[in-house]
Amino acid sequence: MSKVIGEVILGVQNISLRFGGVKALTDISFDVREHEVRAIIGPNGAGKSSMLNCINGVYTPQEGSITFRGQSFDHMNSRQVAEMGIARTFQNLALFKGMSVIDNIMTGRNLKIRSNIFLQALRIGPAQREEEEHRLKVEHIIDFLEIQAYRKTPVGQLPYGLQKRVDLGRALAMEPQVLLLDEPMAGMNMEEKQDMCRFILDVNDEFGTTIVLIEHDMGVVMDISDRVVVLDYGKKIGDGTPEEVRNNKEVISAYLGTSH
Amino acid sequence: MAFFLEALFGGLMAGMLYSLVALGFVLIFKASGVFNFAQGAMVLFAALAMARFSEWVPGWLGLESKFLGNLLAFVLAAGVMFMLAWLIERLVLRHLVNQEGVTLLMATLGITYFLDGLGQTIFGSAIYKIDVGMPKEPVFLFESVFPGGVLISLEDVYAACIAALLVVVLSLFFQKTSTGRALRAVADDHQAAQSIGIPLNRIWVIVWFVAGITALVAGIIWGSKLGVQFSLTTVALRALPVIILGGLTSVPGAIIGGLIIGVGEKLSEVYLGPYVGGGIEIWFAYMLALVFLLFRPQGLFGEKIIDRV
Repeated sequence: MSKVIGEVILGVQNISLRFGGVKALTDISFDVREHEVRAIIGPNGAGKSSMLNCINGVYTPQEGSITFRGQSFDHMNSRQVAEMGIARTFQNLALFKGMSVIDNIMTGRNLKIRSNIFLQALRIGPAQREEEEHRLKVEHIIDFLEIQAYRKTPVGQLPYGLQKRVDLGRALAMEPQVLLLDEPMAGMNMEEKQDMCRFILDVNDEFGTTIVLIEHDMGVVMDISDRVVVLDYGKKIGDGTPEEVRNNKEVISAYLGTSH
Repeated sequence: MAFFLEALFGGLMAGMLYSLVALGFVLIFKASGVFNFAQGAMVLFAALAMARFSEWVPGWLGLESKFLGNLLAFVLAAGVMFMLAWLIERLVLRHLVNQEGVTLLMATLGITYFLDGLGQTIFGSAIYKIDVGMPKEPVFLFESVFPGGVLISLEDVYAACIAALLVVVLSLFFQKTSTGRALRAVADDHQAAQSIGIPLNRIWVIVWFVAGITALVAGIIWGSKLGVQFSLTTVALRALPVIILGGLTSVPGAIIGGLIIGVGEKLSEVYLGPYVGGGIEIWFAYMLALVFLLFRPQGLFGEKIIDRV
């Protein structure tokens, strides 16, 4: 692979998040470099999804800051995050079930649609052209994810593995610079996992999209990521290349347990 | 035959009016997944605002023209409905993001009582009239075909045209615009909608405002026929069977459901009534709704209910 990993694009500094007395995250810092695949791993309840939710603006951390392209924020706001070019997928599918595959992915382009609402309603002039451009982009994504056959199907009727792809497709439609993937392979069989891995690597390769990935499957994580952060009970216990992390004593004990 | 046609027209017109109210329910449900119990109260509130403004405005400005007075009153009433949408979002919905549908339903129940009270406090609780200059006189059609012709009311025809126009505009808005797509997205999943940058707050204000405008139009038409009074809130009850029949998520469904129920009521009253001692009109719609619930719960045009297990 000949990709060039660039400067730091996204960083979190000393993030702490509490829900009442429960400390979900304590003093977490790490950075993500442009074009890399950065994994966040850890046992259940380690705070991985909470971390994504802080970056994504769903949760507001009590302490710490988040930097994106040099700008620093105390907390993020969902809309702003989307506008800055950070997209995400969900651990438990959060698709628009009643809408077709095309419409679901089209919603990802919503922020990019510029024409006036009246022109859109009547489909005249520039609005028509714009709609066509967006549809073309969406068709490319549908081709890329190999879901051509289902484009008109309401997503609620699709099998789980395909719904996961649509979720990814919607995020891709935003043409994000950073893609946050919350367990993209959870609940999939071997074949589906391989497909998903291929899509993720292709996105990273072809579009140069930076990827932040939460995943449970160790094999997958070690194979596809450039650097790995390990969380346990809301604390960071490891950070480095897959090789470094694999040999980290704390990480081994968190995963395998230790005798005290 | 002429008699049949008269009953049919009467039914269609009554149905159109049900449809208008049903539309408000469908809009909010489609766009936020909330069954808005307050729709009836909104109709009354909007109609009260319209009736009183059209009375006050000419006085304030010394206007002579009735048309101008009505137009200003309409704009003001629309403004009031916008304020209302904004307040509902700010004070109620904003705090209930990501909550269950039932929670939101209960909240709209609260809004119903609040609006009933507020409307009558601000605008008064007597019976008011709205006069937007709709022709009251009946006309006779097909006089050459049938002896005596078919009697229909011009007012009903106007009302039907207005309703049809509203439906076309709303369908285009929902199906063809990015905002419409965003509205449907919000109805399905709040969190996902936020993640792609759809601002929930703004969307909710838009939806409730659009529903407020439909309530205003329905209120004006009903009000100019029956007068503006508290019993207007009960038209909402008449709209319930309509949405069950047409499907909670379908704009055309609300219209066709309304027409079927309007026509069904009239024709069954006229033709079956005499055999069972009359009064069919009162329960016909609800019986029809019950049958639909048993055999086709998503209604005629609703989204099929998908449940993966």
